[in-house]
Amino acid sequence: MSDLIRVEDLSIAYALSDGEVFRALKGVSVTVAPGQIVGIVGESGAGKSTIGKTALGLLEENAAVAHGSVRLNDQPLEDMPEAGFAAIRGKRIGYIYQNPMTALNPVLTIGEQLIETIETHTERRGEAARAYAIELLEQAEVPQAEDRLSKYPHQMSGGLCQRIVFAIAICGKPDLIIADEPTTALDVTVQKAVLDTLKRMAQQDGIAVILITHDMGVVAEMCDYVYVLRHGTLVEHGPAARVLGDPQEPYSRQLMAAIPRIDKRLERFAVPGGMGRTRNRDRAMQFLMDRQKAAANDGPLLSVRRLSKTFTTPATLLSAAKHFKAVDEVSFDVFPGETLGIVGESGSGKSTVGRLILGLHAPDAGAQISYRGRDIAGLRSRAERLDHCKSMQCIFQDPYSSLNPRMSAGENITHAIRAHGMVSRAEAHELAGDLMELVGLPRAAARKAPHSFSGGERQRIGIARALSFRPDFLFCDEPTSALDVTVQAELLNLMKDLQDALGLTLLFVSHDLAVVRQMCDRVLVMKSGQVVESGACEKVLVDPENDYARGLLEAMPRFSFAAS
Amino acid sequence: MTDIGLSKPEPTAWERIRKVFIGHPMALAGLVGITCFILLAIFAPLIAPQDPYDQTKLDILDGLLPPGSTLFDGTYSVMGTDALGRDILSAVIYGLRISLFVAFTAVIVGSIIGVLLGLMAAYYGGWVDTVIMRAVDLKMSFPGILMALMLLALFGTGVDKVIYALIIAAWASKARLVRAVALAEMNKEYFDAARIAGMSGFRIMTRFLLPNSISPVLVVLPMSISGAIGAEATLSFLGVGVPITEPSLGLLIANGNDYLLSGKWWISVFPGLVLVSMVLCINVVADRLRDHANPFLKGRD
Repeated sequence: MSDLIRVEDLSIAYALSDGEVFRALKGVSVTVAPGQIVGIVGESGAGKSTIGKTALGLLEENAAVAHGSVRLNDQPLEDMPEAGFAAIRGKRIGYIYQNPMTALNPVLTIGEQLIETIETHTERRGEAARAYAIELLEQAEVPQAEDRLSKYPHQMSGGLCQRIVFAIAICGKPDLIIADEPTTALDVTVQKAVLDTLKRMAQQDGIAVILITHDMGVVAEMCDYVYVLRHGTLVEHGPAARVLGDPQEPYSRQLMAAIPRIDKRLERFAVPGGMGRTRNRDRAMQFLMDRQKAAANDGPLLSVRRLSKTFTTPATLLSAAKHFKAVDEVSFDVFPGETLGIVGESGSGKSTVGRLILGLHAPDAGAQISYRGRDIAGLRSRAERLDHCKSMQCIFQDPYSSLNPRMSAGENITHAIRAHGMVSRAEAHELAGDLMELVGLPRAAARKAPHSFSGGERQRIGIARALSFRPDFLFCDEPTSALDVTVQAELLNLMKDLQDALGLTLLFVSHDLAVVRQMCDRVLVMKSGQVVESGACEKVLVDPENDYARGLLEAMPRFSFAAS
Repeated sequence: MTDIGLSKPEPTAWERIRKVFIGHPMALAGLVGITCFILLAIFAPLIAPQDPYDQTKLDILDGLLPPGSTLFDGTYSVMGTDALGRDILSAVIYGLRISLFVAFTAVIVGSIIGVLLGLMAAYYGGWVDTVIMRAVDLKMSFPGILMALMLLALFGTGVDKVIYALIIAAWASKARLVRAVALAEMNKEYFDAARIAGMSGFRIMTRFLLPNSISPVLVVLPMSISGAIGAEATLSFLGVGVPITEPSLGLLIANGNDYLLSGKWWISVFPGLVLVSMVLCINVVADRLRDHANPFLKGRD
């Protein structure tokens, strides 16, 4: 069987504005046979997407093929002029984008977009094109296919939009589909169904698929063969079961070890890093330990009763006020030293719960939030409120927006406690360095601006900032969802280390059940603003009683080691 | 993990400025031009051959001499003289001084007011926002020059009055711009982090919102200054601007207006050329700054 696409020794170089050259790919070879599903995995910056873009001639202007070749059925693509790709895009290679909501044109109906593509790539016109469009939508398992043709993208969910993108991708009957992170923007329950459809469509029409992803679970469920990339070089390749189950290269091993597992809780991930281990660390620890401990009683540290939040869109001349109940009568307790997880899909209200507790939104009337046995609505004086906010801090979701870009890392960490007069200028300077070391960053980097750090490093700075208040309670709002899996593992290890050392209490919000399994003692499952199930992780994430929780658990891509 | 960009030093302000202008000869020429004009304005008394404000130095016999004449006291007049015997070159250099002073002062003060109001509108929201933004709408609904004419009719003329009128013309667009950017910044998590930290509203505005919302204003600032120079010249030309004793470029053009038809072109043309080239220089630089700040045109940055 001859190869469908053969990428040989491909090197791609980007010319940067400062005159330097960034080599996105360094001699990578990938081959795909007809009908095969091949995964390309790696962390951000590994050059995964660059391979797909090269095959379709979609490289940015400043990128050039420095070396090597891309052949589709022995036809070279690497130096083909732009005009030549018209015969390839859509007809021989289809492309599926990461975010379906932005891949579709918002001002055209689904029918217009689909039929336009059909008329471009096939001989069908008019009614025949329309009939084919419906057929394609049915193949992509879009319910009520005929009605959808007159709908606009914004009237449909992300999962449905992605199915429509599938229909568009297969309409020219291509030999190969390149799917670039096709489910990253989707919820886990939607992800599973969408991937099943993709796999079935590919097998039915004998279409080969290159699946570019960072999610090993997706690879394990979908792919026959897998390539592991790192910093533009090929680390390892082989049949999916072998590479995932018994990786040979140290980097692949580390990558697999960093994947959070749903089936059992590990003490720590087997990755390097974690809490910094330097002389100054002890000084930072001493500072952090030296806080006013909550009064030692057996009661909960945080107690939430009948918490609701309704968001109201004000009435306008044309429409009445709209009410949306984001959180609906949620009650729970968090005990000192434990980690309570909140899981749910996007829109379930899990982050809103945290924002209400932190006081970023005002809850609806009737809610009661008590912290250390006191109702926080009763905190009147400035000193009391300050005391409260020192004790309760937050680690944010998006490391790229959670730091003030106009302050150095060190200032970001200590600006607030300086502003409250808790430390002097010299103390703040020293503390910033100590805390940087504590979270595993070099002391000298405190002078650097946030943009010179990677996502994981910024998240560490965010943790240091939260710690500077010497809090008892940390609300963690999807702290690792924007990060690569090895970085996530390092960060989760760090958080566990800090929690053990300082006796912190965590409220940990995540959409990732496996991460929650690794981090949390107890868990709440939320759906549409309500808690549908709660209990110990061992119970809820292994044998849930609620149907929704069970669906969520079953939709998780399973990633099982052959070795364990 | 331990070599986080430590090897690569932060670019200094000077390096960043160089990066904006290198490879753009027009913008660089504009920058050089602006620098020359500003230096001329600052050192006017040292450079100008004559003090045009000193009536005792003027000799009516030198009146209306064409460019290249020698005056009665022996000074050489490159640009000729006006009806009062005033050397045009000296008048232009001093006029430049008034024009630049009025425009810079008005735009900078107006922008500071606008930025503060815009920040307050975004941060406090509610009725504060409503009051400020309706005031902006009110101001924006008048043609700028009409507004200035009305104000000057009310207050009377004078350098300070012109500055007030131009401040009132300048603040509103900045307030609107800053409010829009600040609202976007307030959705970012660092803003929440500052709120959770229990910082005061004033501190959040000045240390968190202000530095992150100010860039677009800085980018439109040069364009505002060239606009204000033009507006001041218009007002002075119309006779409601600066007083005749401190002539700006606009007033000099107006002075020569009567003589244009009798062939005495130099009285209006030289101040006019200086005005045009100064506005042009500022606009080329402003365009370059705007393009540099535009992420879509940045491409390879």
